[in-house]
Amino acid sequence: MDMNEIKEIFFQECEEQLAELESGLLKLNDGDRDPETVNAVFRAVHSIKGGAGAFGLDDLVSFAHVFETTLDCVRSNRLEPNQDVLKVMLKSADVLADLTNAARDGGSVDAARSRQLIKELEALANGELPQAAVAEPVAKPAPVAAPTPAPVVNEEGFQPVAFSFDDFETNEPLAIEPSTFEILFRPKSELYAKGNDATLLLRDLSRLGEMSIHCDMDELPALASMNPEAAYFAWKISLKTDKGEEAIRSVFEFAEWDCELDVMLAGGDHAGAGEELPMQPVPFDLSMLDEEVPASPGAAEDDDQVAAQQREARDDAVSAAATASNVLQMAQTARASAESNRSAASASAAQAAAQQAASAATPTIRVDLDRVDRLINLVGELVINQAMLSQSVIENDTNGTSSINMGLEELQQLTREIQDSVMAIRAQPVKPVFQRMSRIVREIADMTGKSVRLVTEGENTEVDKTVIDKLAEPLTHMIRNAVDHGLETPEKRVAAGKNPEGTVRLTAKHRSGRIVIELADDGAGINREKVRQKAIDNDLIAADANLSDEEIDNLIFHAGFSTADKISDISGRGVGMDVVKRSIQALGGRINISSKPGHGSVFTMSLPLTLAVLDGMVVTVANQTLVVPLTAIVETLQPEASAIHSFGASQRLISIRNSFCPLVDVGRILNFRAIQANPVEGVALLVESEGGGQRALMVDAIQGQRQVVIKSLEANYTHVPGIAAATILGDGRVALILDVDAIVAASRGQSLKPEMLLAAAG
Amino acid sequence: MASRNTAKKSLKLAPVLDLNEATGLHERLLTLKGTPIEIDASAVERIGTLCAQVLMAGARSWEEDRLSFTFAKVSDAFVKTTQLIGVDIAPLMAKEI
Repeated sequence: MDMNEIKEIFFQECEEQLAELESGLLKLNDGDRDPETVNAVFRAVHSIKGGAGAFGLDDLVSFAHVFETTLDCVRSNRLEPNQDVLKVMLKSADVLADLTNAARDGGSVDAARSRQLIKELEALANGELPQAAVAEPVAKPAPVAAPTPAPVVNEEGFQPVAFSFDDFETNEPLAIEPSTFEILFRPKSELYAKGNDATLLLRDLSRLGEMSIHCDMDELPALASMNPEAAYFAWKISLKTDKGEEAIRSVFEFAEWDCELDVMLAGGDHAGAGEELPMQPVPFDLSMLDEEVPASPGAAEDDDQVAAQQREARDDAVSAAATASNVLQMAQTARASAESNRSAASASAAQAAAQQAASAATPTIRVDLDRVDRLINLVGELVINQAMLSQSVIENDTNGTSSINMGLEELQQLTREIQDSVMAIRAQPVKPVFQRMSRIVREIADMTGKSVRLVTEGENTEVDKTVIDKLAEPLTHMIRNAVDHGLETPEKRVAAGKNPEGTVRLTAKHRSGRIVIELADDGAGINREKVRQKAIDNDLIAADANLSDEEIDNLIFHAGFSTADKISDISGRGVGMDVVKRSIQALGGRINISSKPGHGSVFTMSLPLTLAVLDGMVVTVANQTLVVPLTAIVETLQPEASAIHSFGASQRLISIRNSFCPLVDVGRILNFRAIQANPVEGVALLVESEGGGQRALMVDAIQGQRQVVIKSLEANYTHVPGIAAATILGDGRVALILDVDAIVAASRGQSLKPEMLLAAAG
Repeated sequence: MASRNTAKKSLKLAPVLDLNEATGLHERLLTLKGTPIEIDASAVERIGTLCAQVLMAGARSWEEDRLSFTFAKVSDAFVKTTQLIGVDIAPLMAKEI
């Protein structure tokens, strides 16, 4: 594994940490005050900082450092995480994400923005309220941010006070007047068993300031009776540092369950404080003990204060990462292979640390998506092959009772299980995409001066990774549209008697074997008059066209359509909704709008859970073999003549258990035949469509039920209205998979053709 | 300091004495028990707490047996680490030239 691979893993971990960070901040924003949430947020930034330090990503480190300092104030209850504070923090999380991306892909970051945020963060750490929250200028330096425990005068007579940043450049960490801490550190044997070494922790500790130490060897037994892997040493440490108690505790962050740790300000009342122990001063220059970084703190005489601070931040980060990030452990391993004489030891240390990491979380592995895709493809072929095999056995084996049949059945079950398991590998919660949306909402809200709240529901709904990946883009377009066009300005909202803060609600749920994603805003709804006028102006419809509300709403999906009066950076360039519709269709999905003037619009997207397989009913329609997705079918029935009723000119209804249901001849809709088939000769499939209504689809016969591997028509041929995809049957023939909702929609009088025209126009 | 004995044995420490080395070091020291010992720590680049514990337990046992247990040569890393973890090896340093 080379450095680049390790770096790549680091960035993947960063992504996870950033997601964690954002969800934590959003929880805080919603009023969650659980210390664990704050800790999780802190840990996320801390880990990013640690890893970034190991790779020398200075920009990332220095920003993360300031961010972490401010979060630390929240963690130690010195800063109340109110809405204004969180606004700054959420923006900081965005910048942190940008910096991470820039470090990964090159790219540039808005330096002014990150500088501004660093200032704001520092102001927060310094106890100043965000600018937005205070009308009057704040008196600085503000003495409010005294560290916990409340003002204690230490032996030097210093009282810890907060410190103004105003005189410093951006990279200053939060400085507190040095205080002396007494630390009792008694490792348990588990600490060593998990691959941690007290020596490394003490080394990290010594970096925080001036340290003297006493090693308590009272527990140490005679050589013959000792267990060489047990913990006997304990330490009493006196540390003079300006970094505060949190920094000390964070050194032990990953060992705190495996040791007894007591950190207190020196001079406090506590048993044993009075007893004089021979303390041994710890040499300042321990750089040679760093197996990772040969940076010499001796160079700290450097006049350039900022550079020194950066180096220190990096050193801190490296040490934190040394105990923390498994990325670094891998980095160590890689370095070890470079330095052959140390390789064995480092590798075993990394192994031990990896074990430790494994015990902390559910073990997972990262696999290249391509490999999973290849596997899925192969399993797909296996399923087809198995189906072909079954078919040829059935055709050739006249006995039908042989052990071959039993074996085939087992094979079928096995392939099915394999397929399910492989699909499960790809299933991922939609959470990451939803989280990305909250950033989009924040940014658009800022740009448009609107106040928006994004509410998400069902983030843990799982769907195939491909679907998730392809969902982000259309969703982004839609969110932008919802905020930019959908929501009114705060003034208009107030005038309309609404909450000045608009709400955008993003929901995901499973419904009849598909994932349904809903995006609802509580804005003004679609202005149908305006849309209609615009469509006439753009020659999309005739001036006297008689369109239903639904049809007018659907006009916004037409290419080149935009109602925005002025073109903004955000939306309104006429690309957007048609792109959205096409991306959703390409995923085998559909999109619907329902809009209520004055109450907002709801966009409903329905997408398949997986793009690879489908449980289908194989049917015959006008001598063609079609596959109907099983998830859509409620029941099948053989219509009796008495149950069929004519309705209007050509419509027919079927009566099922005292209710009427429109009868749809699939062959007619798809133009497989010119005249309607006799319902009594066929079979009716009762289906439930997206809109919730039921329809009875008329087919000629049912061949059977089968799992089919989906082969995209769009990718191999072109989109065919009413057809979702194709598959290869056991006899090697291609069968089309029916798009039930499109068929149902077509049966409502909208023929399949206009959609084809629209699709062609797009 | 225990008397210097002619049958003194020498033990050269490995460059890396991390967590995994503790058991091996313990075993080696046990086999040398009963003879004066002179430890060469000049090659040590890294020493972890567990190995330091073993060495200190050895020093105590040798002292109980009234045999000499000394560090003949030490590397800078060895000294710094013992300072860092508060283990005073000065009394164990070989006094002769």
